[in-house]
Amino acid sequence: MHISEGVLSGPVLASGALIAMAGTAIGLKKIDYDRIVHVAILASAFFVASLIHVNVGPASVHLILNGIVGLLLGFAAVPAILTALLLQSVFFQYGGLTVLGVNVVVMAVPAVLVHYLFLPLLGKSPTLTFTAGFLAGFFSIFCSSLLLGLALWFTDKNFFETSLVIITAHIPVMIIEGIVTGFCVTFLLKVYPEIIPVKNK
Amino acid sequence: MKIKHTIIFALISVMIPASVAFAHKVIIFAWVEDGMIHTQSSFGSKRKAKNCTITVVDDKGTVVHKGQTDLEGNYSFKILEKVNSDLILKLDAGTGHQAQWRILESELVAVSSPNDIQAAMKEKEKLEKGPSIFKIIGGIGIIFMLALAVKFLKRETS
Repeated sequence: MHISEGVLSGPVLASGALIAMAGTAIGLKKIDYDRIVHVAILASAFFVASLIHVNVGPASVHLILNGIVGLLLGFAAVPAILTALLLQSVFFQYGGLTVLGVNVVVMAVPAVLVHYLFLPLLGKSPTLTFTAGFLAGFFSIFCSSLLLGLALWFTDKNFFETSLVIITAHIPVMIIEGIVTGFCVTFLLKVYPEIIPVKNK
Repeated sequence: MKIKHTIIFALISVMIPASVAFAHKVIIFAWVEDGMIHTQSSFGSKRKAKNCTITVVDDKGTVVHKGQTDLEGNYSFKILEKVNSDLILKLDAGTGHQAQWRILESELVAVSSPNDIQAAMKEKEKLEKGPSIFKIIGGIGIIFMLALAVKFLKRETS
């Protein structure tokens, strides 16, 4: 999911950086500073998730976890994901510094979307909580794949083909992330409900 | 119904080529040996970059050679006689994954000794190595320190 250096054109990189900066500014403004530890916990989870590889058929996939980060943090997910991606870039050589803005947009925009779409469903019933978690995990990867296709479109000029390849390739990730996010929110709601914003309202 | 879904899922999984897999650290490593340029491409030590395009360009950006990695992520070709510059080998691993490796002109004309090859292999292993536990813990530590700094700054300003 991390785009490498040297793939995208200058205008795409600049646009990504601008959107990421605007999102980060809004995110920092919206952070509830009493919940800053939750932001750090989820940013750390995102930071290490990409190291967990799961073999699916001949391919090897890894977790991304932008769904659960966005679901629980909303706009605060943008600075959280930015920090984690920056550290992944520096420590693990994933992605790169020039492409950081675009990678933030690809992963953080769907994260914010799932917050507004699925957070209201959490806590209504165990089944609905799991379903909301599953959809958040699934949908965030689906949207990230679309945004990735969109970013590459400006290079390849073949949006549908590129997006189809990316979405098909990420179907296992969508399912795995959906299940992981579903179980995580169900579990968190039982043992640590303070981390779920809906519970505090 | 359950079996049908499982079969569909398995089929989709099998159809996905590993070259478009989701890893984000893409590596191409190249060395010169016996008049040949050998390359090995991967997404880390165990995940080979299969069937990926390698484009070789000279210093001016002119494409001088093209090829494709095999199922082990390897690709070898003869040193090009008409090129008098460094060579940049670009690996396109699909869906936004790209890496490159530069071979200096001096390496192309030099005769590699077994020691050179051994040193090159050591460098390759170092590149393919996953992140250390210190980097992971260090990264988490930095995240928490940043969070505390933000909280402290906010408290100071309010």
